[in-house]
Amino acid sequence: MSDNRSQLVGVAVQGAIVSPQLPALPASPYIIGADGSPALLPPPGGIVYNVAVGDSAFGWVADMVQPGVSIGAPSASNPALRGLACIGNDAIVVNGRARGARGTVTGKSGRFAEHVIIHFNEPVLEQLALGDGILIRAIGRGLALADAAEVQLKSLSPALLDALEVERGESGEVIVPVMGEVPAVLMGAGSGLSSEAGCVQIQTDDAAAVSKYGLDGLRLGDVVALKDYDCRWGNGFVENATTIGVVVHGDSLRGGHGPGVTPIMTAVGNRIRPEVVAARNIAELLGLRLGVDAAA
Amino acid sequence: MLRTNASQLVEFAVHGRVWPARGDALDYRTTSGGHGATHVGQAGICFTHRIGDPAFGWEADHLEPGVSIRHPDDGDEHALHYLACMGNEAIVTGGAAVGARGTVTGEHAHILIDFPPEEIELLAIGDPIMIRSIGTGLKLLDHPDVICHKVSPRLLEALDLDTNADGKLEIGVVTEIPSHLMGSGAELMADYVDQDFMTGDREEIAELGLDRLRLGDIVAVRDQDHGWGRGFLPGAITIGLIIHGDSAWTGHGPGVLDLFSSRSGAIAPRPAPDQNIAQRLGLRTPEELAVHQPGAHVSSYATRI
Repeated sequence: MSDNRSQLVGVAVQGAIVSPQLPALPASPYIIGADGSPALLPPPGGIVYNVAVGDSAFGWVADMVQPGVSIGAPSASNPALRGLACIGNDAIVVNGRARGARGTVTGKSGRFAEHVIIHFNEPVLEQLALGDGILIRAIGRGLALADAAEVQLKSLSPALLDALEVERGESGEVIVPVMGEVPAVLMGAGSGLSSEAGCVQIQTDDAAAVSKYGLDGLRLGDVVALKDYDCRWGNGFVENATTIGVVVHGDSLRGGHGPGVTPIMTAVGNRIRPEVVAARNIAELLGLRLGVDAAA
Repeated sequence: MLRTNASQLVEFAVHGRVWPARGDALDYRTTSGGHGATHVGQAGICFTHRIGDPAFGWEADHLEPGVSIRHPDDGDEHALHYLACMGNEAIVTGGAAVGARGTVTGEHAHILIDFPPEEIELLAIGDPIMIRSIGTGLKLLDHPDVICHKVSPRLLEALDLDTNADGKLEIGVVTEIPSHLMGSGAELMADYVDQDFMTGDREEIAELGLDRLRLGDIVAVRDQDHGWGRGFLPGAITIGLIIHGDSAWTGHGPGVLDLFSSRSGAIAPRPAPDQNIAQRLGLRTPEELAVHQPGAHVSSYATRI
């Protein structure tokens, strides 16, 4: 399928590696799980050394772990950073000991974190420090498929669009290979918020339901379809709407929370047709960590 | 071998800066004997004392050994406080000592880091230091009644824990501290800083031999439940780490940082006179530790009561 990438404008947006945040006294650092039990867990953000895109989205002793590096910008420029960065964009370290190193945008987190998530290879991670500046060569905002204006693309770089291998179906619908399908009933935190700069979470309080829909093998970076879920102008339930997204952060104990999905394609009226395949992960698709699909 | 969830833990970065002592260090504060005193000993870079040295006898209040760091922003600062674990690796990320590596040995008003002497010489106030945090959420799978606080997998291994015949967690401790001596810090959550044991009754402290403790010693406190908060509970037990030195203030004394706690008393302490993290983590040699012997000095404030 052809698209309008030759008309897109590439711009630089920039942020710095942010520390995980916990509140000052007298606020409690403990989060309360869906079952009422307290826990002290690493919150999202910073530099994560041992969880990378391609690894499991479940089982980590952390709250919504964001693989690799998370960056943010001061409040006035953070919306542009998060709004314009697209999954698959190049990221470049602009100062510090890893200056000049390159990485790849793998996601954007939602409310209360609001970071851009970036994959760097392990030797680069070792050299990075909190506070280091990272520039993103943002391109993808405004990307559209030719003759399929009803399908909105967002946070999607031309590089990832190529890797997704979308096809046009017999009735003009857009066919997208995905790892799995998430029913709207499981869509939780992030509903009601903007679709452009963050993610919406698959709620996992009901472990049996997660398993029933084949989502317990979910990995960070998996491409999934959200069924009956519309992300055109905000996140919400619409029958026969379909959203394609990328799993960007890990599970959570909090009620209504779970792995986050950054929307990359969305349409109503069954104009997107997901096709479930054995494995579909951006670590493999973008060549960030080859072999992770085989290991799944 | 204890079974743990260490393979599920996430390793991540928190950070701070070498933090200056502030002007209030020169303010007079009243000792428990009713005398005015200045209180040097916290913040900055301590050139003379490291983890493993005696906790008593210095002309200092709340002596913080090694390097003290914090962060000026609330969110970063509290992540540093709650998530830095004992035994974590610290890395200097700027300044003349860039690339130097140290070890987290305490959490008090600042996060306390031990560096080898040659690195201390290169450090300056304000230098950025990053900690590779791992340990938050650690669980001992065969001891569900034991809660871990700020125990890195490295420290866990170094402490050489075992399960005894009764199924309790057996851990070597230098001594036991009676519950009624636990003082400042009782109002805080168990994952925030330490709780001082009170040294105002100098005779009792001497009778119990607590004035022989070293910074870095592992101790047991019976009848104290430090699972989520800190309080007296008969039958409960808490294991702690001595992180800072003695104090002249009422209700204060050396700091006990919570490492393990059990409401049901599922921990069995056993005597182990050399259970000190400076040695267990390989930070200092027995010869280095022999230079300063407990009891060699008595703080002036301890004699003016």
